[in-house]
Amino acid sequence: MNLKKKLILLFFLGPMLFVVILFYVIPLFLSIYISFTPMTDWNVNRYLTQFIGLANYYRLIHIMMYDPDMRAVIITTVVFTSVTLAINVLGGLLLALATYFMDERLSVPYQGLWLLPRMTPIAVYALLWYYFFHSSGIGLLNTILMRLHLISHPIAWGLDPRYLPWGAWFIIIFINGLVGVSYGMIIFYAAFKSIPKELIVAARVDGASTFRIIRHILLPLTRWHFTFITVWQLFSLLTSFAQTYLLVAWRVVDSTWGQPWALYVFRTAFTTTKDQGLAAAASTFLSAIGIVLGIVALKVLRYKEMILEPKGDI
Amino acid sequence: MMPETTDVETINRRRMNVVLGVAVLLASSPILISYFVLIASSFTNQMITGGIMGQLIFTLQNWVLFFEGKLTVTAASVLSFWNILHYILNTFIVAFGVMIVVTVLATLAGYACSRMRFKGRKFLIQLLILLHAFPGVSLIIAVYALYIFSKQPLPQNLWTFYAFLYVIVARAALEVPMDVWIMKGFFDKVPWEVEWSALIDGASRIKVWKDIILPLVKPGIAAIAIFSFMAGWGALIYVMVFLPATEKTLATYIAGLLAGGSLEVVHLPIVAAAGTFYLIPTLAFFTFVRRYMLQTSLSGIKG
Repeated sequence: MNLKKKLILLFFLGPMLFVVILFYVIPLFLSIYISFTPMTDWNVNRYLTQFIGLANYYRLIHIMMYDPDMRAVIITTVVFTSVTLAINVLGGLLLALATYFMDERLSVPYQGLWLLPRMTPIAVYALLWYYFFHSSGIGLLNTILMRLHLISHPIAWGLDPRYLPWGAWFIIIFINGLVGVSYGMIIFYAAFKSIPKELIVAARVDGASTFRIIRHILLPLTRWHFTFITVWQLFSLLTSFAQTYLLVAWRVVDSTWGQPWALYVFRTAFTTTKDQGLAAAASTFLSAIGIVLGIVALKVLRYKEMILEPKGDI
Repeated sequence: MMPETTDVETINRRRMNVVLGVAVLLASSPILISYFVLIASSFTNQMITGGIMGQLIFTLQNWVLFFEGKLTVTAASVLSFWNILHYILNTFIVAFGVMIVVTVLATLAGYACSRMRFKGRKFLIQLLILLHAFPGVSLIIAVYALYIFSKQPLPQNLWTFYAFLYVIVARAALEVPMDVWIMKGFFDKVPWEVEWSALIDGASRIKVWKDIILPLVKPGIAAIAIFSFMAGWGALIYVMVFLPATEKTLATYIAGLLAGGSLEVVHLPIVAAAGTFYLIPTLAFFTFVRRYMLQTSLSGIKG
């Protein structure tokens, strides 16, 4: 490759590589390094040169074993991630199937409607559910149930100790699920649409029911997409915490039982104890899961084989 | 896609439409109701929930109060119209900044990943897929530490400017891997013959990219521009972490209004007006979104 070609390549790739190195590669190593320092209160000048070995990791493991609040974080992470993942994948599949078998004049507005939460600014999306689950009489859910005389006074769904942990879990699973299903819906729908229509028509002519068409044509042909959605949603569930952060900050959801691992990392570093060393140690777990899961995903989804060689590069 | 008439009418399409339509409508009711409550409450004297229906009065007062920076109907205002305008402007700056950074980087790098042969190409593409999935939150601590470090040598009067620059690029970085991958999908579809004929005529690679290929991938550029604008427009965590407390966006303004869940401090219909205002770009792009989502998911995830 001559110099001119290299310069051209640098023109195209340089800016992206700069951003990727500055905001992914360096932070990954720096984050691991911070987990070996006693950094607190963002005092980088004082603490960044002190090396304390594995102390943060020992502390983290200690509180994981003995602190009931930390145990709540772990249980919440497992329940929240697995239940929401199931809802996202299966709900997305159901929505995609339903809209696939509808006329387009119905499916277009419906899909638009389900994409709305995804496009809504996080603060507004959280605001919707602030009004919905509010613990006073202005909460929509309380209003409806009181009108129907199912409850006599307003209930603090995500805060009342009588309904914990399920009350808090229900809210965070519900609001994350409602955003998440649209991803599966769009990917499955696009995949179904790319299946040749002749296959479906032929099956219909042979008298196959809709259920059998789904079971024997649509699902087997979209296995790759099923894996893809599962893996990608798992990633985003492990790391998305913004809506949950607001609902905790706005006192809609209990801060102990509404706090998955990612939110714990964020709050420990930025709002509660400002203990960045401990938070960095906790985030290293997330990074490790991210890297392992990512490499497995690349292998399972066989991305390498799908990357085409540029055939005509001169 | 073929017209519906080619389907053999062995099933009752009308009945299917009705059954599925009603089922999805029921499933969608939380979305419909919650958006309705937000938007309708911004035009009434009290939240439309909780109150007695007879007392609900249509009013534009909440919108006026929101723009005046007031938090309740009676209390003196802490903020003014100019503060609110400032927050709206900040939201636009972040949104446009993220849009420009993402769109430029993705159209450049997407082209190289699709069309150029170089060492480590497959590795780079796989790395991008990995990065797209990588837990961004686990990096935010280090990204913030880098920010503190890098702003120290700067003169203090540049800190606010630097904060905006940093929040824009840092937030854009989260979108870049996915959007490079999406743009690569769009470039992959442009026939090679188009490029060859220009290259053989002696045009440089950059010129061909700019004058001939880019116009052909306009739908892709539009898609990532809209998505990245929305990402920047809605950005909350990065704005909250990096921008100084005085430089709010609509996201951090609304987040601050309800902090601690204090109902006494703020009249909720005013928050509803703020939220509805913040929602306008989303509603404006509403009809484009589905089409672009389908396009990008088709060309984006495979190939």
